Amino acid sequence: MKILVCVKQVPDMESRFKVNSEGVWYDEKDLAFKLNEYDEFALEQAVRVKEQLGNTVDITVLSIGPDRVVEAIKKGLAMGGDRGIHIKDDHPWQKDPWQIASVIAAFARDKNFDLVFTGLQSQDRGSAQVGGILAELLGFACATTLVAFELNGDLVTVRQELDGGMCAILKFKLPAVVTCQMGLNTPRYPTLPNIMKARQKELLAFPVTNFIGPKNLAATERMYLPEKKGHGLVLEGDVNEVADRLVGVLKEKTTVLR
Amino acid sequence: MDLELSQEQKLIQSTAREFAQAELEPVAARLDQGGDQAAFLDNLKKLAGLGFMGLNVRDEYGGAQAGMVAFSLAITEIARACASTAVTVSVNNLVCSVIQSVGTEIQKKTYIPKICSGEFFAGSFALTEPGAGSDPASMTTSAVLHGNEWVLNGTKRFITSAPYAGVFIVWAVTDKAAPKGKGISCFLVPAGTPGLVVGRAEQKMGQHAAATNEVILEQCHISQDAILGTLNGGLRVAVGELLGGRIGIGSLALGVGLAAMDYATRYARDRVQFNQEITRFQAIQWMIADAYTELEAARLLLMQAAFREERGKAFAREAAMAKLFATEAANRACYSALQMAGGYGYSKEFPLERYARDVRVTSIYEGTSEIQRTIIAREILKEISQG
Ligand SMILES: Cc1cc2nc3c(=O)[nH]c(=O)nc-3n(C[C@H](O)[C@H](O)[C@H](O)COP(=O)(O)OP(=O)(O)OC[C@H]3O[C@@H](n4cnc5c(N)ncnc54)[C@H](O)[C@@H]3O)c2cc1C
Repeated sequence: MKILVCVKQVPDMESRFKVNSEGVWYDEKDLAFKLNEYDEFALEQAVRVKEQLGNTVDITVLSIGPDRVVEAIKKGLAMGGDRGIHIKDDHPWQKDPWQIASVIAAFARDKNFDLVFTGLQSQDRGSAQVGGILAELLGFACATTLVAFELNGDLVTVRQELDGGMCAILKFKLPAVVTCQMGLNTPRYPTLPNIMKARQKELLAFPVTNFIGPKNLAATERMYLPEKKGHGLVLEGDVNEVADRLVGVLKEKTTVLR
Repeated sequence: MDLELSQEQKLIQSTAREFAQAELEPVAARLDQGGDQAAFLDNLKKLAGLGFMGLNVRDEYGGAQAGMVAFSLAITEIARACASTAVTVSVNNLVCSVIQSVGTEIQKKTYIPKICSGEFFAGSFALTEPGAGSDPASMTTSAVLHGNEWVLNGTKRFITSAPYAGVFIVWAVTDKAAPKGKGISCFLVPAGTPGLVVGRAEQKMGQHAAATNEVILEQCHISQDAILGTLNGGLRVAVGELLGGRIGIGSLALGVGLAAMDYATRYARDRVQFNQEITRFQAIQWMIADAYTELEAARLLLMQAAFREERGKAFAREAAMAKLFATEAANRACYSALQMAGGYGYSKEFPLERYARDVRVTSIYEGTSEIQRTIIAREILKEISQG
């Protein structure tokens, strides 16, 4: 079985973000980058499939981006991936989710992957579209927002998280693309010996121009930090009166009381 | 010249940081208060599982073969969360390293994988005695060959991890008549050997979670092949291996210093007195500037010593400089951090008093600051008189 795990490197979310000079993305200078958290669940699930089925499973870890993303691929290899694909692109943020999915599809099309894992979304862009579009482009079954995953032969059974605390159980056959929600599993830390041994694993790099496809469908017009909202509301005065006003505010401005 | 870490080194650093934040930092204060040894040992096992006990150990013995730079980075990150865990990890690595460098193949295969895998929580490095600290050559513990067994007698003091160590490296005098330091050998004594008694626990100022005990050897019989390295060559082994240990202790101090300053600086940014954040006072700004500058210098000295070791260059002077500077800078940083937080710094509500207690010993163990200065001066004078 051939598995593809698509991972992205994103800034540490604790960073202080600044909008870049073009005004359409954040300034990447001085940011520390790490593996997109959702992708850790995707990697972990792929490795668990390999542990379940043994060495007939081959896991490819793919990332699109500048040289720094090799660190994210290497983390995937240290967690248990077999080979890495680095699609070199110095400005991946200029591509919309449709183009990113098209690049991955162009790479994956003739590779006979049975199963593709991605994170539900990236922590920086948060579009949650790449997995779905990729499935469509490859003609694979697709399930998103997984909180449980099971594989029996070529039958996949997953639990999908829905809004309002509901879940759905889905069953479908391979080949498939699935996108992973946090909590699907507990991602392992890569062990130090595995980090060192991952240096020996195959890691191929290709320019993104090898896979160039369609023009973007959506372009970012402007990126900005939300304006600072006004200060909180302080209610003062007689307790009874304040309580009444508070109930009024809660009814009017929130859904807490209706 | 390239001051950038390799991708593997960065991954090891971030793995150590993530593990320390998730698993060590939440329990560090509780462990400091004593009592929960099970949680402490459990964390050691997890760290072993990830490969932190044998950073420089070769693959065939279960190590990571990651090098001295990665070792330094890992210890710093662990110490940022829990100094007691960090010293235990550092000493375990030291013990593995001694066995790997002078042990026989059987000794290496018997002990190193057990420390690396966590089957042993720890290994102990038993050099210091009540009467022999900075001057280990004056030790009196003796080893005498009776038939095909060595018989050890004497007392070791301040032995890290003794109550839960699986094996002890014990130094003892094997030739009383030899010139000072030339008659000492090194032995591997498994825990539980009759005659090896773990004595009373030290009541310490800090690093409470890490046990420090007396170890008494009383007619302790071990087999003839328990000797580690060459007969009467033991002190040279201790001196040589402590060089790497010093990088570990310097890195540990750096981690505690950074933790203290990061905490205090964040606090100061929010603390208002005289109607302004206290970081607006130049007095506070200078503490921040001085401490971070010194810690950065410490980091560079440590990286330089570790890098030279990896390249197979002499690094005795650099390791001594790094340990001296890093441990003293970290002590000053913890002092400033506590000062910046005022009364809250002195309270157990904040972790700063723990950092200040934990960091204090770093300029004492594995060679005091005074001994580091002696080494540095000796190395420099040696070079000058050769030139
Ligand atoms: C928490 C803890 C854990 C430890 N863990 C271990 C362990 O695992 N294994 C182990 O073997 N040891 C261990 N030690 C022992 C430690 O290495 C010694 O305490 C240290 O080497 C100093 O020895 P001493 O305490 O006997 O002090 P002394 O050697 O008596 O020194 C007292 C003072 O005299 C100064 N001094 C001594 N000689 C000179 C000199 N030539 N020139 C200038 N000044 C000098 C010292 O710098 C110091 O200020 C540990 C100690 C502690 C506190």
